[in-house]
Amino acid sequence: MALTKQDVAGIADYARIALTPEELDEMTTYMNNAVDLVEPIREYDLEGVEPTFHPIGDLSNVMGEDVVDDSERHLPIDVALSNAGASRDRYFRVPSILGTDEGDR
Amino acid sequence: MANIDELTAAQVAAGVAAGDFSAVEVAKASLDAISKRDGEVQAFLQVSADLALAAAEKTDQRRAAGEKLGPLAGVPVAFKDNMHLLGTRTTCASKMLANYESEFTATCVQRMLDAGATPMGKANMDEFAFGSSTESSAFHRTNNPWDTERVPGGSSGGSAAAVAAGEVTVALGSDTGGSIRQPASLCGVVGMKPTYGAVSRYGVVAFGSSLDQVGPFGRNVADVALAMNALTGAGRDPYDSTSQDCPVDFLEHLEDPVEGRRVGVVPQLMEAEGLTPEMRRAIEGACRMLTDQGAELVEVELPNIASAIAAYYVIAPCEAFSNLARFDGVRYGYQEPGCATLAEQSSLSRAHGFGEEAKRRQMLGAYLLSSGVYDKYYYPAQQVRTLITNDYKRAYEKCDVIVLPASPRTAFRFGEISDPTQMYASDLFTISNNIAGNDWASRVRAAPGTGLQGPEPAHLRPCRRARRRRHHARARLCREGG
Repeated sequence: MALTKQDVAGIADYARIALTPEELDEMTTYMNNAVDLVEPIREYDLEGVEPTFHPIGDLSNVMGEDVVDDSERHLPIDVALSNAGASRDRYFRVPSILGTDEGDR
Repeated sequence: MANIDELTAAQVAAGVAAGDFSAVEVAKASLDAISKRDGEVQAFLQVSADLALAAAEKTDQRRAAGEKLGPLAGVPVAFKDNMHLLGTRTTCASKMLANYESEFTATCVQRMLDAGATPMGKANMDEFAFGSSTESSAFHRTNNPWDTERVPGGSSGGSAAAVAAGEVTVALGSDTGGSIRQPASLCGVVGMKPTYGAVSRYGVVAFGSSLDQVGPFGRNVADVALAMNALTGAGRDPYDSTSQDCPVDFLEHLEDPVEGRRVGVVPQLMEAEGLTPEMRRAIEGACRMLTDQGAELVEVELPNIASAIAAYYVIAPCEAFSNLARFDGVRYGYQEPGCATLAEQSSLSRAHGFGEEAKRRQMLGAYLLSSGVYDKYYYPAQQVRTLITNDYKRAYEKCDVIVLPASPRTAFRFGEISDPTQMYASDLFTISNNIAGNDWASRVRAAPGTGLQGPEPAHLRPCRRARRRRHHARARLCREGG
């Protein structure tokens, strides 16, 4: 079942990547080729095979001590904000999240 | 002092420690080599001359104060530009991070510095490590030092080229599906993708978190082994919960004979579609060399390896989509100006910050992880991963090492592979190792830590030699391409 341009536009919306109409055409071709490439994965008889989500088996949780890290390797707030496009005081600054319509406020 | 491309890492460190030359002299020689050759090779995105000279001066001062110097004292090292180093930008060769100033130093970089290395700068790569040719860098291409009309491989193409061109002695790269081994092969240097977890990923911009692994490039096996010791010697990194203790001295078995070692060959892969005859001959030549020295060839089967491409191109894009979701234009990275809503700002920042291949991979991942699709691809891919891992376990019961090509072909021309999914297929031989988490040294002659070693490789000075004897160089590339 091939992916249509509409399908791909929906994925782009979900992935938060705005595509131009031209990009959408190319992306649709690519997506269908790529899905063909991975298609063999569905033809396998995998009855009873456990999945491996991670190459290190027998992992157990690594828990840190619940203490403030005051080594040189912690990230001070001013450094954490230094690459942000917009910030104010101790915070990252973002445009409206819920929309700008007066009724939404 | 001698030209730095004639010295091994151990010779540089010994020379600095003995006072034959200073670390500053070595740093200047490396800067000199970069200014002479990098115009042609374009391996670097940033040369950190100030950091390099400051680090080298500190090394010289420590020597003057009678302190014991590290095993990489004064050794010029380049870092792939997905590794944070305070005082440099970390761009991942993307417009998204064109102005990103490192906020801390990655553990792998710090361990090289702790061993005394001199940081020469940041090496070019495929954007966010998506690619096999370094052509997807948003800034410029990198040319193969052996033939500047050909790609250096990728994604760690800048790291491999900087070492091959003799601009630095050692470089670090990262490998998610072959990104150390393939460029090492195409540039005729030694590269190693360590076992997953052996080297900390802290401070390395993530691509596929269950696949990514950092490793070194060098012009000979011993330099790579020396770098591996520096990267792993201090044990697991508390800042990376997947890092593991790696209690191996990579130098210990370098001189061991190969006699009696069982070398696995995979007949099914030697017949694989796309493997060029010259590459096949190179692998067969390497096997012959090993048997001449007393190794025993053993045929092994990896029955599920044909599915590795499909499994990888499910798992890796899904992990990439998840990891690159952080680039939303808020905390760092390109931020689209003048947007009314956060959603619009994210969508346009990502649209204008990411290049084509980065968008493709994320789109594929987004689709494969979406509701109803996940069960059809992602879950089965993780089951196939189990089968491939078991294949390797069974194969390693019959042999000590396995010989495989790192690439189906020698270095190709720019633009020669323009279809993205065709480019993916060139990862055929390398990616199953990422899926299984295994280690792999890129030179079939030698695998540090496993006891294999061939004749001492000649020092490579491709820039000069390539001009004079280009055909000779290409022949050599074929020969050492595995």
